[in-house]
Amino acid sequence: MTDQNTPLVPVIDDVDTGGFFAAAARGELAIRVCSECRADLHLPRENCPRCGAFSQEWRTVAGAGTLYSWTVVEHQVHPAYPVPYTVVLVELDDAKDVRLLGRLDGRPSLEIGQPLQAWFEQVGDATLPQWRPVAEPSEENV
Amino acid sequence: MVEPAWTPGACAIVGIGATDFSKASGRSPLTLAAQASRAALADAGIDPRSVDGIVRCDMDLVSAPALADSLGVPDLTYWGEAGPGGSGPAAMVGQAVAAVTAGLATTVVVFRSLNGRSGNRYGLVGERGAIGGEGSYDEFFLPFGMQTPGQFFAVVARRYAHEHGLTLDELTHGLGSIALASRAHANANPAAQFFDRPMTRDDYLASRMLADPLRLFDFCLETDGAAAVVVTTTERARDLAGTAVPVLSVAQGTGRGVQPGQMFPALLRPSITSWPSAATAPTVFGRAGISAADVDVAQMYDCFSITALMQLEDYGFVAPGQAAHLTEADLSVGGTLPVNTSGGHLSEGYIHGMNHVLEGVRQIRGTSTNQVEGAELSFVTSAPPPGASALVLGADR
Repeated sequence: MTDQNTPLVPVIDDVDTGGFFAAAARGELAIRVCSECRADLHLPRENCPRCGAFSQEWRTVAGAGTLYSWTVVEHQVHPAYPVPYTVVLVELDDAKDVRLLGRLDGRPSLEIGQPLQAWFEQVGDATLPQWRPVAEPSEENV
Repeated sequence: MVEPAWTPGACAIVGIGATDFSKASGRSPLTLAAQASRAALADAGIDPRSVDGIVRCDMDLVSAPALADSLGVPDLTYWGEAGPGGSGPAAMVGQAVAAVTAGLATTVVVFRSLNGRSGNRYGLVGERGAIGGEGSYDEFFLPFGMQTPGQFFAVVARRYAHEHGLTLDELTHGLGSIALASRAHANANPAAQFFDRPMTRDDYLASRMLADPLRLFDFCLETDGAAAVVVTTTERARDLAGTAVPVLSVAQGTGRGVQPGQMFPALLRPSITSWPSAATAPTVFGRAGISAADVDVAQMYDCFSITALMQLEDYGFVAPGQAAHLTEADLSVGGTLPVNTSGGHLSEGYIHGMNHVLEGVRQIRGTSTNQVEGAELSFVTSAPPPGASALVLGADR
C-alpha cells in the first residue's frame, strides 16, 4: 500500500513514456522525436501523426522554458500536496510544441511568458523534471 | 471525398425521464438507470418490453444488458456506447439514431446513471501504487500536482484570458454571467439541486477560490441521479403518446492534435483556448441546414463555467474572446442566447451531459420551467475535453 502522505510516484518504465523518466534520472530533459520526419512526439508515442512512421528515438533538449499558463491550487485534494501550491504549464524553448508541468510551493508571483528553468526532484524511484523561475539578478545575485 | 448522407429529422426523441437529483440517492446506479428509463418509456407511451436497443456512456457502471434485464426486455438485439465520458450524450443519441435508421433496432433507450457524489467521486487520487502508464499518460500530470478537472480548467481559463487580452476581472465577469444565469434558471426549476438557492454576483465573487482563477461556483455539482431518453423513427413516434421531438442533426468531432489519454493531455494540444467543439460546429449546423444565429435556446455542457463560455465561441454564437463580456441577462430567458435553462451542471445537477438533452427536448415541447417562447431550434452540446458531440432538436411538422 502507498502511504497517503508520500507524493505520487509516476510509472517510469512504460513502453511509450519510460525514456522521459530514464533521461530525467540522468539529469536530462528528453522528448520523443520521429526518426523519419523529425517531428516532436509529445505526449510520447511511437506513431508519428505527421508522416505515419513508427520510431523509438529520443532527443535531449535544454531545460529552458517559457510559462504558458498556471493555476494556484487552494483546495486540498491529496494530503502529500499541501495547499496552496502552484502548477505551471511550461512551453519548452527547444520544442515549441511540447509543454510540461511543474509544481511550485505557495503562490509565487508569475507572468505568462516569463522564463523558467528545469531542475530535477527525486521522488521514490522516480526523478521528476520540475520548473522554477529564472533567478532575478536583483534578488539573488547582486 | 464522399460525404455522409444525413437525413434531418428521420428519428425523434419521443420520451424523456429522470430520477431526482441528490447528494446521496441511497440507490444503486442500476436502480437509478431503471427508474429514469421507465420514466422515459412511460412518457413515450412505450411498453418497456418492446425496447430492443440501449445506448450507454462508456463511463457508466451499468451495462446495456443489465439495464435490459431490469426493464424486462425479452431480447436486447442492439447496444452501443459513446464517450469518452461527458462528450457522450449527444453522440449516444446519435448512436441510437444510427441504429434505428440502419434497421438494427426500432426502440432505443439512451441513458446515463451515476452516484456522482455518494459513489465514485471524480478527482480523488486513491492508493494505487505508481501513477500512469498504459496510455493514460497520467504520469505527466498527477505527480506534478495536476490532479483534478478543476485544476485543469483553471490553467485553461488563465490562458484563455491571456490570449484574448482579458484581465482576470474581465474573465471572472464572463464566468460569473454563466454561473448566475444557470442559478437563476435553477431557481425556477423545482427538480434542480440549487432550486430556491438565489445567488447574487457578490455571492458568486465571495465564493472561495478552489483553483485560481476558478471559484466554488464555477464548478458543477456532484450529483447522484440518472436521465434517459427514448429514440425511434419520427414516423412511428407520431403514433405514440409522447410528443415527438425530431433530431434535426447530431455530430461528433475531435479536431486535429487531440492527444491521447483523457482530460489532462488536452493541455498539450496546439491550442487550449478552443475545444473539439470548434471542429464539431460546422458539422452539426451543416447537417441541420442552419447557422448558430438560428438557434433559439442552447444547453451548453458546463462541467465548469469556463467550459460553457469557450463553447459559446467554438460554436460561433459570439466571436473569439467576446464571451467573457456577456451578461447574465444575455444568457437568461429573454436574452439574446438563453443558455442552460434547467440550471445545467452548475445548478441543476451533473448527469454528465444527459440532463442537457432532456432540457433541450422540453424547450421544443414547450414544457421547460424556463420556457423560451416559440423556441423552434434547440441546441445541446456534450463536451470537452476528449472530444465533442452536439445535436439540434426541432419541432415535428
